[in-house]
Amino acid sequence: MTEGIGLVGIVLISHSEALAEGAAELVRQIAGGATVVPAGGTEDGSLGTSTDKIEAAIEDADAGSGVVLIPDLGSAVLSARSVLADLAGETTARLVDAPFVEGAVAAAVAAGTGADLDAVIAAAEEARDAAKF
Amino acid sequence: MPPSSDDDVAERVVVLPKPLHARPAGQLAQLAGRHKETTVQLVAGEKKANARSVLAVMAMGAVTGTEVTVTATGPNAEAIADEAAGILTAAEAADG
Repeated sequence: MTEGIGLVGIVLISHSEALAEGAAELVRQIAGGATVVPAGGTEDGSLGTSTDKIEAAIEDADAGSGVVLIPDLGSAVLSARSVLADLAGETTARLVDAPFVEGAVAAAVAAGTGADLDAVIAAAEEARDAAKF
Repeated sequence: MPPSSDDDVAERVVVLPKPLHARPAGQLAQLAGRHKETTVQLVAGEKKANARSVLAVMAMGAVTGTEVTVTATGPNAEAIADEAAGILTAAEAADG
């Protein structure tokens, strides 16, 4: 548990600004109290990913207990890795391999209960094996 | 109120007034997640879910009228089972 330090933050990295923001809105509805920050699209709002947006989102999401980065596809992973490399040693943010929506929901529910970074990452990764129905 | 022990087991059977949507599933998972030493199990027909997994709870696909058995095992089982039953039967479960 991490009471007094703050909750683990979640950053949703998508090629689409609308997808990142919509997913964040949905996840916040389901996981009350969790910090979920979207980082979608490029600087000018077109499709793609932005290392500046990702870095800013990590800062926004960081309450001292770590940050989980959930990418949607392909180069979102590359952009996130690039940011983590730039921040080497100065961030507790970690990139997880998880389905975008289910992983975000599971991670945020766990984070909202005060789970620590490893537990939030585990929750996101478990989403890979969760059947939708 | 009797003292709690690790062996406490409490069961509640509820009939859903609304489908079990994402938001109450999240509330159940957060309730279960806040009580790490207590297991909260949901059973509806052949579907089972550990309430700690929001995705498993949603995957139950429980619709209006479904009978759900909540079993809490561990410290504060009675109070936690009551709270879980309250989430399942709350009117706001409609909004999901």
